[in-house]
Amino acid sequence: MADLGRVKLAVPASVRRGEVARLRALVLHPQERVERQGGRSVERNYRFVNRVVVTYLGRDIVELEPSTAISENPTFTIPFRATETGWLKVTFFDTHGGRFEGTAEVKVT
Amino acid sequence: MNGALTRRAWLTLAALGAAGAGARPTTARAQGHLANLAPEEPIAATVLRLAGGRPVKDGAALIRIEMPLIAEDGASVPIAVDVQSPMTPESHVKAIYILAEKNPRPLNVKVSLTPAAGQASMTTNLRLADSGAVRVLAEMSDGTFLTAARDVRVTVAGCAA
Repeated sequence: MADLGRVKLAVPASVRRGEVARLRALVLHPQERVERQGGRSVERNYRFVNRVVVTYLGRDIVELEPSTAISENPTFTIPFRATETGWLKVTFFDTHGGRFEGTAEVKVT
Repeated sequence: MNGALTRRAWLTLAALGAAGAGARPTTARAQGHLANLAPEEPIAATVLRLAGGRPVKDGAALIRIEMPLIAEDGASVPIAVDVQSPMTPESHVKAIYILAEKNPRPLNVKVSLTPAAGQASMTTNLRLADSGAVRVLAEMSDGTFLTAARDVRVTVAGCAA
């Protein structure tokens, strides 16, 4: 997976002040699932995204804690109330110390 | 000497490796061990654990769950959740939990929200091990919990584990 950790964000081209808009965030990641042998989980350090932090204008607005039961290449849609033109930042953390970031500018009219 | 590892260097590396292995389950780089995952348990136990003894009320009137009735591939089942809330500092949804009844580890994801989100909604894709209920648990700012569920038929299991 050469592209592991590539982040894509999508926001509306412009949002009216005070309105709630949606951010779509995707990270290319295997989001490994727990393997089973004879009905029991196999012990190892599974690699999956277990924390996602969304900030808007430098403030944390939403945080997610995905498990292994979120699909490969995790995708999330997150709401935010547009107050000012500025940056949204999404940081994905995985269980192997991986940290993947994406930013998108929100234009408020 | 350049490029070749001395005996001393080897011993130092080995010691570092051993220290690293010992500390494994607690370091930021090794959070994927079974002990750090959401536990394997029936969904009722997960709900009790998350609510921590606080009341869980029927939230079917306030929680909207959009999912296909029949999911062809359990490896990726789209879900959209929306909890009606004014999302003010005084009254908002603090967290949304998505749980799958038939997954060995029922907790799919926890979403922590703040009033700055403006809405208590989110979408993602779930792995579902089998046909069954997908339950949403919403933690409100007053400490109460609301819950609602949707039944989904899964044609090909997603081995969610």
